[in-house]
Amino acid sequence: MAAALAGTALLTGCGGSSGSGGAKAELSVHSAYIPQPVSDSMAAGFLTIENKGGTADKLTSVTSADAGEVTVHRTVGGAMREADSLTVPAHGRLVLESGGDHLMFDKLEHRLRQGRTVTVELHFARSGGLKVEMPVKAATYNPEHGH
Amino acid sequence: MRNKTFTAAALLVAATMTLSACGSGDDSKKPVAVVSEDTSRKAATVLDKPFEKPDLVLTDTHGKKYDLRKETAGHPTLVYFGYTHCPDVCPLTMNNIAVAVKDLPKAERDDLRVVFVTTDPARDTPAELGKWLKMINSEFIGLTGDFATIQAGARTLGISIEPTAKDKNGKLVSYHGTQVVAFSPKTDAGYVLYGEDATVDDYTKDLPEIVKGETP
Repeated sequence: MAAALAGTALLTGCGGSSGSGGAKAELSVHSAYIPQPVSDSMAAGFLTIENKGGTADKLTSVTSADAGEVTVHRTVGGAMREADSLTVPAHGRLVLESGGDHLMFDKLEHRLRQGRTVTVELHFARSGGLKVEMPVKAATYNPEHGH
Repeated sequence: MRNKTFTAAALLVAATMTLSACGSGDDSKKPVAVVSEDTSRKAATVLDKPFEKPDLVLTDTHGKKYDLRKETAGHPTLVYFGYTHCPDVCPLTMNNIAVAVKDLPKAERDDLRVVFVTTDPARDTPAELGKWLKMINSEFIGLTGDFATIQAGARTLGISIEPTAKDKNGKLVSYHGTQVVAFSPKTDAGYVLYGEDATVDDYTKDLPEIVKGETP
């Protein structure tokens, strides 16, 4: 599990918005899904976190009763690396998508089948916890095409 | 028919770059390098200088010696380098191909060879590979063996992989290739590449051409 590190709330990341304006982060999640995995113990998950607020937040960890471990991964140069935290920029979004950053579910209780739903809780440095229902879609589900 | 042909050099640049991880916005789906004036989205990249099929002799999922050139000679062949502990791109790529293959007539399906070469041979034993591929398509061929051999084979296709290594938390990090290479049954040369954003529809549309060695 990613540690809730980083005492400072200094914004780095690519978005570049400096968090002036609104008082705090206002987060919402959409486009969440998990492609039906091949593995019986491991899966990837994708979602988009919108921030309508004027302050950035950081996704610091993710938990789920269905998985022994959930980590946030960044994909860099064909390899996945565990990320300590990912920034949700002010008036921006954090996109976890296939081929890029994603959630990684490890030590699954059982193989995830299409049609099931997995409940995860996203933990943020400022906004606390946010519960999200992630539907398990077809292995080849493509959010751009909707099938 | 309109074909996009790029020089191998320009292609390699595009193919070996992966998405940068600055996870913002929708535009990360766009290609990293634009190498053609043709703006219509097309998954296939046709090479004007095809790759020679790598001279790989590895072990298949039954634990038997598998000579890639010998076993796939004269057959349309798709080759992908990945690993089974990969949650996202590797299973998606193989599943996309598996769904598209189902649409081929049986004779062409039987003729086609789909080869998954592991980039993580220490974890991907023949048995592990076999178990994983069976969930996708039991006809697909899984190869494992000496990492240096696999890496050298991948390199001849412009695919760069590194050995599995531990990250700072002690977790194993492996690498996958960023493209599927299609080899022609006519020439046995690798003449078309698919990036990791190629969809089921792309493969479904192109495989009937690929199995004949024609340009998609």
